[in-house]
Amino acid sequence: MLSNPILKDIRNFFSYIFVWLIITAAYILILIYGEKISLEIAFADGLIFNILLAGFGLSYWYSAKYISFESSSMLKILISHMIGGVISVSLWLALGFFITNFLTSSTEEYSTFFINNFGWRFLVGLLFYFLIIAFYYLIIYYTNFQDKSLRENELKNLVTQAELKNLKFQINPHFIFNSLNSMSALTTIDPAKARSMILKLAEFLRYTLVNNDRQKNKLSEELNNIKLYLEIEKIRFEDKFDFNEEVAPESRDMLVPNMILQPLFENAIKHAVYESLEKVTLKFKSLVQNDFLNISLENNFDSTSENKSGSGIGLKNISERLKLIYGLNNLINVEKTEGIFKVNLYIPLSK
Amino acid sequence: MKNKITAAIIDDESLARQLIKKYLSYHTNIEVISECSNGFDAIKNINEEKPDLIFLDIQMPKINGFEMLELLENPPVIIFTTAYDQYALKAFEVNAVDYLLKPFSQERFDEALTKAFRYLENKPLQENKLSALVKLNDQRKDFLERIVVKDGQNISIIHLEKIRWIEAQDDYVMIHTHQKKYLKQKTMKYFEEHLNPKDFIRIHRSFIAAVKEVKKIEPVEKESYQIVLEDKITLPLSRTGYSKLKDFFK
Repeated sequence: MLSNPILKDIRNFFSYIFVWLIITAAYILILIYGEKISLEIAFADGLIFNILLAGFGLSYWYSAKYISFESSSMLKILISHMIGGVISVSLWLALGFFITNFLTSSTEEYSTFFINNFGWRFLVGLLFYFLIIAFYYLIIYYTNFQDKSLRENELKNLVTQAELKNLKFQINPHFIFNSLNSMSALTTIDPAKARSMILKLAEFLRYTLVNNDRQKNKLSEELNNIKLYLEIEKIRFEDKFDFNEEVAPESRDMLVPNMILQPLFENAIKHAVYESLEKVTLKFKSLVQNDFLNISLENNFDSTSENKSGSGIGLKNISERLKLIYGLNNLINVEKTEGIFKVNLYIPLSK
Repeated sequence: MKNKITAAIIDDESLARQLIKKYLSYHTNIEVISECSNGFDAIKNINEEKPDLIFLDIQMPKINGFEMLELLENPPVIIFTTAYDQYALKAFEVNAVDYLLKPFSQERFDEALTKAFRYLENKPLQENKLSALVKLNDQRKDFLERIVVKDGQNISIIHLEKIRWIEAQDDYVMIHTHQKKYLKQKTMKYFEEHLNPKDFIRIHRSFIAAVKEVKKIEPVEKESYQIVLEDKITLPLSRTGYSKLKDFFK
């Protein structure tokens, strides 16, 4: 899991040493001017006790790490740290006293000084213990929090990716099977036409399947693929529909989500062309308006044979996809008036 | 077998019809007497020409293949030809002899024809064993989305939201909407099973009511109730119907 954050990074380590140098200096000054103690004792005591405490401070990491907030109750944590604090402070004082006593020449003077200040020292030791532990807890909390939000972000990304994948256009298998059936008929009736239809279907499938990983394509590329689709449907349904396009020249190279037009056209073909006995006209338009690329498809339909209620799955997918990609609502608008069906898409221009 | 077998091809795509004709050209005992590109034409044609056998697509403009069959006076022998595999169960429910998935080969087509010949020779047809089995196993119910009826020469498509109630009438049912009444040759049981029980409830042996139309339930006598619709029309409510409605509105 986590290793000691102070030792993990050389900069943190130097900061830690620096803070202790300041504390040590302050401590020595207090001893000299406050306590009026001899220089020798002040330096020995100050250096030894503070170096020891700095060392102990590093090891406090383990008590912070193993007594975690999530796994135990508040009371348990407090008691554990009280015990930990008393033990480590006692150890610190004992060690410090013996070392200092061993090193200084005036042992008697030092002993009285040490005993006089024992209570004060003990409290300061405990205070440091709790300060350092609190500092460690803060670090643990902060890193956990960062980890969590990082993981949450990753998860969110994954979900978005999956949703996008789900919403992405999938070729309608019936279109393929019906086309294959038509080709099968054409092989004897008109072999040349059969070949041309096979080539168109192959090109359409290649674009659709190969480009599936790409998020965005140029409008002109998408439109070319749509034309292949329409040409194939035209071989099947001869003069059941017409196609008009009005493409603003500056919109041709603009990027649109991959296969975003296909469900638009498929919807029109399925609900208007397949369902109508009359000829259907599909009108495609693209123009740049303010910060949006406006794409529209309009078709007439037979209002008497309004097909069931199951329409609009394709359009709903487009809407969801646009929302996920651009983070905006209302990028699709559907108008249905007397016998005319019109869908508008608003693609935000990337700057 | 007497003379030639007559056949009709019903498909909205001309190439699909041509392919069937091509496959049929190797069978000299069959004569194609009509070709139709939609269900409306097909009903008229079949009722007039009475072919022995039809090749029927399912997805067509206006009304689909199944809806068309419902409106035929004497349904001929049926071979479905479609790219959709999800209708196979339903196809056997209407006693189709075979279900050809597009694209299909000459061999597969000939197989279907052999079945059709056997069927035609053994007239009258006994109920297809397979269809009985299918009915038994059909757990998943596809509820109707609309109802097609023929009144006189016209064919009407009734959207379910327009229906107020359905009433038994001898061998028929009368479908009531705000504008009109339509007669349809089906049983109450059929509608009870094929209409979504969230929207329609069998309130009486002879009545099915649209839930949204019910405004009030009121007592008539002791232990006997009726329901009142928007414009004060009342329909009888049987005891089982009463408890069904009560459960529904709970």
